[in-house]
Amino acid sequence: MNRFVQLWRTSTVRLTATFILIFTVFAILLLGFATWQSAIQIQRQQSDDIDREVRLFQRIDANQGVRALAMAVQRVSRQPGPGVYFLSDATGQYLLGNINSVPAAVVLEPGIYSFDYELADPLDDSDILGPRSFKQRRSSGYAVVRSVELSGGMRLVVGRDVVERRGYSAIIVQTFMVGVLGIILLSIVAGGITARRVLRRIDTIRETSTKIMHGNLSERVPVTKRNDEFDGLATNLNAMLDRIEQLLQGLKEVTDNVAHDLKTPLTRLRNQAETALRDGASDQTRQQALETTIAESDRLIQTFNALLMIARAEAGAPSGAFSDVDVSAVVSDVAELYGPVAEDEGIVVSTAITEGVHMRANRELIGQAMVNLLENAVKYAKPEAGGEGRISVGLREEAGRVLIEVADSGPGIPPEDRQRVLERFVRLEKSRSEPGSGLGLSLVSAVTRLHGGVFRIEDNEPGVRAVIDLPRA
Amino acid sequence: MKILLIEDDREAASYLIQALDEAGHVTHHAADGETGYAMASGMDYDVLIVDRMLPRRDGLSIVESLRAEGDKTPVLILSALGEVDDRVTGLRAGGDDYLTKPYAFTELLARVEVLARRSSPSEAATSYEVGGLSLDRLSRKVERSGETILLQPREFRLLEYLMKNAGKVVTRTMLLENVWDYHFDPQTNVIDVHMSRLRSKIDKGHANPLLHTVRGAGYMIRE
Repeated sequence: MNRFVQLWRTSTVRLTATFILIFTVFAILLLGFATWQSAIQIQRQQSDDIDREVRLFQRIDANQGVRALAMAVQRVSRQPGPGVYFLSDATGQYLLGNINSVPAAVVLEPGIYSFDYELADPLDDSDILGPRSFKQRRSSGYAVVRSVELSGGMRLVVGRDVVERRGYSAIIVQTFMVGVLGIILLSIVAGGITARRVLRRIDTIRETSTKIMHGNLSERVPVTKRNDEFDGLATNLNAMLDRIEQLLQGLKEVTDNVAHDLKTPLTRLRNQAETALRDGASDQTRQQALETTIAESDRLIQTFNALLMIARAEAGAPSGAFSDVDVSAVVSDVAELYGPVAEDEGIVVSTAITEGVHMRANRELIGQAMVNLLENAVKYAKPEAGGEGRISVGLREEAGRVLIEVADSGPGIPPEDRQRVLERFVRLEKSRSEPGSGLGLSLVSAVTRLHGGVFRIEDNEPGVRAVIDLPRA
Repeated sequence: MKILLIEDDREAASYLIQALDEAGHVTHHAADGETGYAMASGMDYDVLIVDRMLPRRDGLSIVESLRAEGDKTPVLILSALGEVDDRVTGLRAGGDDYLTKPYAFTELLARVEVLARRSSPSEAATSYEVGGLSLDRLSRKVERSGETILLQPREFRLLEYLMKNAGKVVTRTMLLENVWDYHFDPQTNVIDVHMSRLRSKIDKGHANPLLHTVRGAGYMIRE
């Protein structure tokens, strides 16, 4: 029963049931129409028969007289068949025929009537007709008749048994019913099988999602080779699961890294506070310890801000944060902002920026990404004593894409590390001594992805060429 | 200066009140949105410092109501929400400046003092003059003691902002926001380098420097 309820709840079953219902209604309508039409046809035929017979009797009566008429009525009365005959005198008294009484009104007023009748006593005629022909007729029935007044005031009633007619209709109905029933049964079976097949596939998806909800994120919905809508759904679900798993993995890594990388500055912070509290610490020591504390906490806040910004960019910022941005202006602004710093470090900054390139972007995030790239470039392009460092900042349009490049003449990043440096908190051994959080390139990467682009680290021989490759869209 | 602080965090509030008092400002405090709104509309303040998330009434709705009533008192919004969109909604609600928690007190103080200045008419001035240094906003000419000083467009905007707020401390982030229109803390000393270039142009060869570095806070131009 429970299973039935469950089955009923499925939309496939309900749909099948609805179709069966609609079909049944149509079949019944069709059947009704056909029965009605055939009934009319049979009725017309019968009344034509009756009229023809009545005219025949009237002719016999007129041409050959009452005796011939009586003979004729007597003859047809004995024949098997649906015919109903009754001949009476002017008062309605039975004279001849296979029924011996009719309602009084029928004989008094000529016209068309229908009534229940009873056959005249069959025993009377059994010796003449033999039992077989009588057995064929029922002893009573319902008849449609025409009653007429004959020349001598006698009344003649000629009719047909309609029970027979009905029997004919009943056969039509029966045939139709059997057909309709068969089709209903077939559609139930077919619908049931379809519903079960669909249900089974939905069940697998549900089972998988239940397993996933219980924590097994590596579970995937099976995809068949049929490549139908369910496979489309399964493929999409799997892609979504991949993304979720990837995000969760990222989250886990971040949590681990945050725990690890924030403990260090927190420890330093604590140490400084202890230094300031230590007995006998001089005012100058205290002052210094407190200043370091503030500087450390500022760095921590910066790290948090960078983490939040990356998280926001990765989660996909609300589209409201996007607007039409002159990226050329953003890039040259940031290049100009860092120009003097680079120059002081002995680095020459050159720019090759195509002007007036607009695109839908988040100005603040693109600006921050550029700042991070330039901070890095200035940090690493710093020349050895006497040498000269170079940074080039470029922006160009190419086949519907906007390419922003920041290249430096620093030591570069070995190819095997180029992907790794995009992860959060990853700092290469060489840069451990430099200030920084290890989040700069992660943010650039996240911002680029947010804009639907690709961030690449290429070889500038020597140095790093960081390329933000954005679709113009 | 008379300041109204609407902040529900008692500890943060008492710290701010004390620090603002030391800086010579009178501060009134409201611990929830309704009280804060009543105080802000009932009395005349030079600056309102409004926390964004408050019990009983949201900070932004206070600012919106005040603005709708035609109250033009400068408002500094404090918020733990520091994303670009948050800042935009804060300023759109009628805030004049937006500061993200946690902040340095020097940053807050500098912004409050600059905000209060806004209500003074100097906003519309076409030229500024500080100790013999003059800046004409229309002809974009800068002169000191009759000598023309040639500045790059960005240096001009830096100086313009400093002179508009002469005698007030402006922080590095304020400079970055107002001159470059970016809202982040620069990690390296980018602003300092720009400032030292500007300083060498306006102060070099003059006995009394006008551009001063305020330790732990920022810069100030004064006689």
